[in-house]
Amino acid sequence: MAVVKVDMLARSVAEGPSLMTGSIPTKDWMDVPVVFKPGNYAYPTKPEKLRYLDSQQGLSFPNAREWNPEDDDWKLPDNWKEIILQGIADRLDKFRSLKIFMDCCVRCGACADKCHFFLGTGDPKNMPVLRAELLRSVYRQNFTRAGKILGKLVGGREMTVGVLKEWFMYAYQCTECRRCSVFCPYGIDTAEITMMLRELLHLVGIGINWAMEPASNSNRTGNHMGLTPQAFKGNVEFLCDDIENLTGVRVNPTFNRKGAEVLFITPSADVFAEPGIFTCMGYLLLFEAIGLDYTWSTYASEGGNFGLFTNNELMKKLNAKMYAEAKRLGVRWILGGECGHMWRVLHQYMDTMNGPADFLEVPRSPITGTVFDNAKSTKMIHISEFTADLIKNNKIKLDKSRNAHVKATFHDSCNPARAMGLLDEPRYVLDHVVDNWVEMPENTIREKTFCCGSGTALNTDEIMEIRMRSGLPRANAVKYVHDKHDVNTLACVCAIDRATLTTLMNYWVPEVQVAGLSELVGNALVIEGEQRQDLTEGLRTLV
Amino acid sequence: MELTEALANTKKEVLSRWIERTLDSYTSPGFFKKSKDPFANPVGSNISSGLTEVFDLLLAGADQQAYLAPLDRVVRIRAVQDFTPAQAVAPLLELKWVVKQVLSSGKETKPLLSQLDNLDCEIDRIALAAFNIYCECREQLYRNRINELKSGRSILTDAACPSAVMRQELNNPGPNAGV
Repeated sequence: MAVVKVDMLARSVAEGPSLMTGSIPTKDWMDVPVVFKPGNYAYPTKPEKLRYLDSQQGLSFPNAREWNPEDDDWKLPDNWKEIILQGIADRLDKFRSLKIFMDCCVRCGACADKCHFFLGTGDPKNMPVLRAELLRSVYRQNFTRAGKILGKLVGGREMTVGVLKEWFMYAYQCTECRRCSVFCPYGIDTAEITMMLRELLHLVGIGINWAMEPASNSNRTGNHMGLTPQAFKGNVEFLCDDIENLTGVRVNPTFNRKGAEVLFITPSADVFAEPGIFTCMGYLLLFEAIGLDYTWSTYASEGGNFGLFTNNELMKKLNAKMYAEAKRLGVRWILGGECGHMWRVLHQYMDTMNGPADFLEVPRSPITGTVFDNAKSTKMIHISEFTADLIKNNKIKLDKSRNAHVKATFHDSCNPARAMGLLDEPRYVLDHVVDNWVEMPENTIREKTFCCGSGTALNTDEIMEIRMRSGLPRANAVKYVHDKHDVNTLACVCAIDRATLTTLMNYWVPEVQVAGLSELVGNALVIEGEQRQDLTEGLRTLV
Repeated sequence: MELTEALANTKKEVLSRWIERTLDSYTSPGFFKKSKDPFANPVGSNISSGLTEVFDLLLAGADQQAYLAPLDRVVRIRAVQDFTPAQAVAPLLELKWVVKQVLSSGKETKPLLSQLDNLDCEIDRIALAAFNIYCECREQLYRNRINELKSGRSILTDAACPSAVMRQELNNPGPNAGV
């Protein structure tokens, strides 16, 4: 077993009197307890939400109760320790990756300075290696021979309430963005370690409401917001009215239409919240321009899958809903909108959980004839792939001058970039819809992109400070291109990004707005018969 | 030797100590001190460059307005980290202590210790400007929270299930039942 060096990574020495004292570590990391105070934790799950989820077939969310992270007593079940240790044993047995990740880390430290949470806080427990060590130490103590005999000498430690509290603190200071994994020589997926920590915490009723309520809403009405089918349809129709006012084009989308060729699924924030609604207007215009035979679903009315941030059973259930709906409507394939983690679930877990989707056809663009063999198994393609193909085959007319007000840069959203390799398609689209865009520095884009800091259900307002500091590495790179090239628009392909980067920019670089890529496509799109007003701010123009 | 000249001569040492002490306020500051890449290490590089610029402006006797940009670079970061308000702006005041340490270590510069009143005053003004920025940052933080709530995202956590509400109403007919 490798010698534990992490404590050395975490230590520092400071001398001299200081006005700033208080944070210099004098103890080993294992001996520094976590302290919960307002602003440093997201609110716990409402018991009724947990009870609802627990009552659902195939799901288990026991031990629902009122509890407060600031209290000493978290009202854990009496046999909580037994539950956790059994939970670890079950998962080591079920997930081979977890067993490997627990054993193979040599603590080289390559990941230590790659995490946006560490870079924004300087807190050693935010180094991915140390965050994983929070679980690994318990694993070592209880599941390895050396640990059972030598304990702390080989980096093991007892599972205590203090350790459990530490898990809650740091499993929710990781956005599962997987930037650290890019640098790990062993390819350890730290996101999966965070996922396991969160799963284990759920076994004893510990979780956050911002993850569980959207997940519960999604299970019930089909989307995070809890929108009813009528409200969902109504919102899309409002956007159609706006489009008509702006462009003179009347768009008439259909809902739950059996026999449509394509089912379109996007995050519900796109039909509901700014600035996502402008992206949605972009989709609607694009589909109108090419005459796509597609339908929306008011049941699969959410691309986002907060199950990914919760546990694998819930993730599986929410992913299955999209396919159940595709089957019910009898579509040929699925087109997915600008979402982040929907694509991670789809590309990396869908086949194992719910696949293969053999009742669907391999996606084939009815406009260009292109067959998307890359989606042979999932039968679902990304709107950026679809749009790039339309542009490449000259099937849509674009006028870049309609984006004259935009000087853009592109933020690679973590999941599409790192989990599905969607790197060049959005850039190709951007090349064709704006005159002018620049890249951020090399070590902040593509596979090495920095997270928005608010993913994995951390996009809640009560932890605003945490979000702002963990988003600093992203914002810092945006600020650089704003100062140097006058960039005023941060384009991206993720709904959580659209919402949270807007907030992040308001704090760090207020001159920069955030736009979905399809919004910029919609701005530039020339449609036959249109009577477009002078839209100085594209689809955002108030007329 | 004039004070300004002495400060210019000792600039390297003052800055090195000042930046080191400021970064020591983080629990694990090794990387913040070491990495020079501004994009890989935004905290370390922004704080280093911000403090360096503040010191240069001090040497040049710059106008108060000129300090705002570099101060913002430092304070905007510390305003959202795990510091009390005092700890967040303390590095600016610590410059006094650092200057005294450095000047007292040289035979030629030691006599200048009695002439630091004006410099101390200037540093106090800088620290007060930093406190203004700190407050603006905190206000922006709360505005961000309000903006998110107003944007409708709060519905995420406050949405009532229509069918559950209906069921509840059917089970517990209130005074307006049937109206």
